[in-house]
Amino acid sequence: MMKRDISIPRWGRLAMAGVLLGALAAGGCDAIDPTGVNNPTTTDEDLAQATNPTEALLPGLRAQFARLINAYVVAEVVTDNYSIHGTGLIQTLDAPNEITPDIMNATGTSATGVYWNVQELRALANFVIDEIAPNDAGAPPALVAEAHYYRGMAYLIMGEVFSAVPHEEDGAPQPVEVALGRAVTDLQAATGFGPQTNAALARAYRLQGDRGAAAGAANAVLSADAEFLFAPPYDAGSIANTSVFFLVLRALQEMQPLPRLDFLDPKYTVRDAAIPIAKAEEMHLILAEVALASGDLAGAKSQLASAIRLAGTRGTVSFDDIDERRNADLSLRPRDSEILVRADADSPFRAGLVLDRPGDGLTISNISGTSLDADSVAALSEASDLWHSLWLARQEILFLEGRRLADLGIKLPMMLREIDQNPNISEGGPGTVPVLPGFVPVAPRYAMDVYSPVELYDGDGPDATLLSTMVTIGVDMNRVLVQNNASPFN
Amino acid sequence: MHYQRLLRVLATLATLAALAGAAPAPVQSQTGVIQGRVLDATSGRPLSNAQVLVTGTGIGQLTNASGSFLLLNVPAGEHVVRSTLIGYTEAEQTVTVAAGQTASIEIEMSSTAIALDEVVVTGVGAETARRALGTSVEVLTSDDIAQAPVQSVDQLLQGRVAGATVNATSAQPGTGSLINFRGISSVFGAQTPVIYVDGVRVDNDQSTAAGTGGEQSSALADLLTSDIERIEITRGGAASTLYGSDAATGVIQIFTRKGTPGAPRITARIEQGIEVPELKYIFDTGVIFPGRVESGEVTGTFLQDEYFRNGQAQSYYLGVNGGTADVTYSVSGRLGDRTGTQPKDASTNYNLRGGLQASLSDDFTLEFSGSYVRHNFQRLYNGSSIGDPITTFEVGDALFFSGASTLREAFDIFLMPDIDEWVNRFIFAASARWDIRDDLSARITVGSDNRSNQQRIYQPIGFTPGEATGQLNRRDRSFTSVSLDAGATYAWENPDGSIGSSLTVGVQGFREDESIVNGNGLGFALPGSFDFDAAAEITAFEGNAEVFNGGLYVDEQLSLWNKLYLGGGFRIDAGSSFGDNIDTELYPKATGSYMLSDDVGLPFVDELKLRTAYGQTGRFPGAFLKDRTFSAISFRGESAPRFANPGNAELRPEKTTTIEAGIDAALWNNRIGIDLTVYDARTTDALFQVPRQPVTGQGTQQENVGEILNRGVELGVNLDVLNTRQLVWSLGGTFRYTHNEVTDMGGVADFGADGSQKRVTGCWTMVDGECRGGPVGAWWVTMPVDTNGDGLPDGSERQFTGGFPVPDKSGSFNTTFGIGNNLTISALADWAAGHQVFDWGSVWATFNGIYRRERVRCGMEEGAAEGCEYAFPTRYDASGVAQGKYSQNAARSAFLYDGDFLKLREVSVWYALPEAFAAGMNASRASLFASGRNLWIWSRNEIVDGELNGLSGGGLQLGGETSATLSPNRQFKFGVEVVF
Repeated sequence: MMKRDISIPRWGRLAMAGVLLGALAAGGCDAIDPTGVNNPTTTDEDLAQATNPTEALLPGLRAQFARLINAYVVAEVVTDNYSIHGTGLIQTLDAPNEITPDIMNATGTSATGVYWNVQELRALANFVIDEIAPNDAGAPPALVAEAHYYRGMAYLIMGEVFSAVPHEEDGAPQPVEVALGRAVTDLQAATGFGPQTNAALARAYRLQGDRGAAAGAANAVLSADAEFLFAPPYDAGSIANTSVFFLVLRALQEMQPLPRLDFLDPKYTVRDAAIPIAKAEEMHLILAEVALASGDLAGAKSQLASAIRLAGTRGTVSFDDIDERRNADLSLRPRDSEILVRADADSPFRAGLVLDRPGDGLTISNISGTSLDADSVAALSEASDLWHSLWLARQEILFLEGRRLADLGIKLPMMLREIDQNPNISEGGPGTVPVLPGFVPVAPRYAMDVYSPVELYDGDGPDATLLSTMVTIGVDMNRVLVQNNASPFN
Repeated sequence: MHYQRLLRVLATLATLAALAGAAPAPVQSQTGVIQGRVLDATSGRPLSNAQVLVTGTGIGQLTNASGSFLLLNVPAGEHVVRSTLIGYTEAEQTVTVAAGQTASIEIEMSSTAIALDEVVVTGVGAETARRALGTSVEVLTSDDIAQAPVQSVDQLLQGRVAGATVNATSAQPGTGSLINFRGISSVFGAQTPVIYVDGVRVDNDQSTAAGTGGEQSSALADLLTSDIERIEITRGGAASTLYGSDAATGVIQIFTRKGTPGAPRITARIEQGIEVPELKYIFDTGVIFPGRVESGEVTGTFLQDEYFRNGQAQSYYLGVNGGTADVTYSVSGRLGDRTGTQPKDASTNYNLRGGLQASLSDDFTLEFSGSYVRHNFQRLYNGSSIGDPITTFEVGDALFFSGASTLREAFDIFLMPDIDEWVNRFIFAASARWDIRDDLSARITVGSDNRSNQQRIYQPIGFTPGEATGQLNRRDRSFTSVSLDAGATYAWENPDGSIGSSLTVGVQGFREDESIVNGNGLGFALPGSFDFDAAAEITAFEGNAEVFNGGLYVDEQLSLWNKLYLGGGFRIDAGSSFGDNIDTELYPKATGSYMLSDDVGLPFVDELKLRTAYGQTGRFPGAFLKDRTFSAISFRGESAPRFANPGNAELRPEKTTTIEAGIDAALWNNRIGIDLTVYDARTTDALFQVPRQPVTGQGTQQENVGEILNRGVELGVNLDVLNTRQLVWSLGGTFRYTHNEVTDMGGVADFGADGSQKRVTGCWTMVDGECRGGPVGAWWVTMPVDTNGDGLPDGSERQFTGGFPVPDKSGSFNTTFGIGNNLTISALADWAAGHQVFDWGSVWATFNGIYRRERVRCGMEEGAAEGCEYAFPTRYDASGVAQGKYSQNAARSAFLYDGDFLKLREVSVWYALPEAFAAGMNASRASLFASGRNLWIWSRNEIVDGELNGLSGGGLQLGGETSATLSPNRQFKFGVEVVF
């Protein structure tokens, strides 16, 4: 059977194909061009089109600063403030001498991302300050000052958290002194941004051991606003307060406080909870520390009392805690208000440090909380007791604000990626291993976090019976700080 | 029968509609009939499913169970009737047909162990007999496919393709398998081969929705096996060169049915089945958590008793196939439904498919195929630690994590979330072929794959601890690809057959557009809210990618005396993902094959072909990774930018250069067939994600710096043990071994691949004092170490264990018995070995204080733990004082197990009812069948299924790790198929 040839002869089809191809070649190609693609993110070419690039990039710096503060705060798990109970945080962080650069390799906003985020903030600020703003005639000076603030804060936190880090590509690790010096330089260029700049300067001068400059900056903050507080909020929909996940949201509430700090926990209860960056209480504490270092006990008492009183006026939140409290072995932790806690075997038992949990309507300080009272501090006469109160006040009032790491003098290693990629950094060299003051206990493991008795309850679950109302923490790190004259002003 | 007439009318109408504009074939008045049978030349056994065709007419038919055929309306005159059947040499017989008469013939066919006359098209530009190929192309035929008790193409490939490792990821619906040919050739992107359906590149993404705890929705799950005519598979190298920058992982080309001439043949198939959960790796260890055992609340087998269940499965298929000499068609519909073996684990799929072929003239043919798939399925969180019922009950403390007071209450809480997903998928392809002259033809194929899916993860009020107000995540993905392949072939042969040439020049390319939108609503005031805009906090995310890749190819096949074949060609490629400084890439190839047995007589050798090939393939970079970019998110009501991709103007595809050699042999009177290939595939310019120094604030950038070697062997063997009139018995097997090694890190430090515990390293072992690279994704986990040399472990550090997650050896065994003409029994088993699997379930168990490993190894009876190997050694301090067990974080090496497994994958029985019985139903044939799938497992370890692969999302997916999750269900199906 022959197939039937349809009406169009071969020459006709050739002609049709020719016409079609000719039409396509003549201009129709654009209509069916499959090769064009459009990158949905901003490229260099796109950025060049921005009319106010400095203004456009500043929110990026604010966001990156928020990421850094997140990681900086969660890194308190390395200290005695918190121990880790869960799988969301690497348990090695509880043993600071075991922290290795690969553990610090994260780029997120949890504890191990602190290195990445501090460098990204510094680099992004560099980009704005050095490349964008000089070519942006419309760059408002206030925004440039704000950019300097963020770069200054990046250098300050580098100095607080790391023993040495590079400040430029292929650069050798720079020690703490260089980081603090650069922090001061940037912060001095940022004074137009508000009192938080002087607050940061006070912190930097304190770490430099410069009593006069620290006191001057602290007083400048208090003069500007005696109740100063700089605490920009987080954003529940994008960059949320990371610690909230570990304090509240994850089914295993993975950051568990030292029992004597239980009353402060959880400081942040909602995703957009603000983290105080700078506040007047800290300025009083710096002034108290300057006074103590100078032998001015009365001045120190006065400043400590001011800090404590101001803390007492700050806000609180009501929180329904459904958690039972558990330690890393899933044993029940102290969770009854009748429990007395002492900071170490030589300290007195104190009441009121442990809240009833699970509990409804717990009142928690979300800015500044402390177990100290101003009158008791005023009654102290020994310098060592005042030093102890100072360290305790710093620990409690600045709880979950990131300072404890620097107060204990613990320096984390930089991330492994930096060591791998930078030809001027070698493993084992400066900044690549954790650096701990000799007074930070490393044995037994997790020494700063342990307490006794471990078995506080006779069983598991809500009906478990409390076996002992007295809890003794293994080591009082504030006493250790006093004994070792750990203040940078000494 | 009225309905038959109706169906014939409908079919005729469909045919007429398809022919719109074209005149139907004229009614032949001078015609006759050819009837006959096709028989095995050796045994005289009737051969079913042979394709019988009256050459030059398009009239044809498949033989029935007794080997019979009946060809109507054959024009009077002398004709050649040709019979083809896989496994047999093509046979022809001449017959003279007289008008109004019936001519009878018998065609005898000789079996062949290797199908050298089989024609393939994938990777060669034009139709080419396998005899002439310098490479190995695997082919699955409609027979292989139609009787396989599988639903999707990835399941079909399991155990059926030499050189392939195909491992399931989960028992849950919507998931696909990890498919790998010739090792891991890249450290970015999935290793899934590219897949073409009727010449159209289709979505093969393994991560098309949000992960639900190690389980990802896969586009492979809705590539169904309905109406597939054949599948051609090239595993990379020269066989894939013509696909250019897209084929380093191999090509799977699926051809769908377009119908065969003849009266409408209606196929109806009904399947009913049950699914039984595979509980080999479920131990119900969770409920023994301290404090729960003694209460007597549960029996210790809570999951088995209360959670898992037997599920039902059913499938209905109806297809019509037929046509005239000029127009053939195949139309079908299929409905599949399963209830699942876990609560909220059900799935339903609907499939409509049509194929049409029309010869508009002697020299012009059009083909069209289209399919629609709708897939609805539910999912449970699996493989995560909390919120996942299996993991929480198996290795956690369900009461603690749920806050419930009884396990039944906890069960209800963990079943609160709804994870629902639907997929809509349209694939269509249109092609035209024009035989311009006897020696010159041209063809073009265009088509598109449009796949959209929506996933909704609804956590109602009361589910999420700490956030009691519920949330909804909605994720929409839409994918569109458009493909074009056009070429012309000039074929010439010297009349004396001494030399022939086939030159093909063509263009081939595709464009892909992918768009993903995520919406999230957090905090609902009232139960029942199911739209995310009713939530207190609403967030949304979007991602878009577009990529074009295309090129020009030239392919020359030269045949000399029909026994020596030389081939050569190249492809020049351009792509939107290439860096600004890279215009084109060149991929050359050269092949040679020689029919040694034509010249040299060897004992026991019937046919022996030697072949060798050299070829390059590529893999293009990520869509926009050439650009320096800034990304931004919303933060406090402002758009907040940051550095994103650093940019690389020199970005180009990574190239895999393969040298291979092999033999195809038929031995011992065509009873033994061997297909053996050895290869060396070296990927140069391998794309590594090179980190910038963190001090720059920049992340990582894809750069062409690495080199990866894959070297291996692929073997397929089949053996006809018996071939008598009453009994046929065949055995077959495949084997694959791959040595995978990163041979050059390009100066980049070791980096993680597919998770932090798998690593790409240039220093895995030391050989003669020098570093040797490891396989891609070598396990790198924390291990106890002795830091002070006192012989007691006191520290922990990450080290390479010497293991890797991807099996380096895999294979399969199959056998088929045919008893009489009616009964066929076949079985298939597959295995994989050499890999280590990481058991997250045991991690969670250990975290929760459950010594899952010891329970299995030592039993739970009193005192049995004595002498057991503990998962965690005791940790000592520097002075040798015991500190208790290592934590799970510090001794992850304890969770790696040998992954070797063997699974009895399929057993199926087909019984063709006697013709008289079928005739009683006015059917041409009727069959009963029964099958079982995933019937039995042997594994080296007893804790975790070595096949399963928890996937982490996009990018490189190596598998080899899983949590407490269910292995693929045991499936038992029973059905009937009737052809009218």
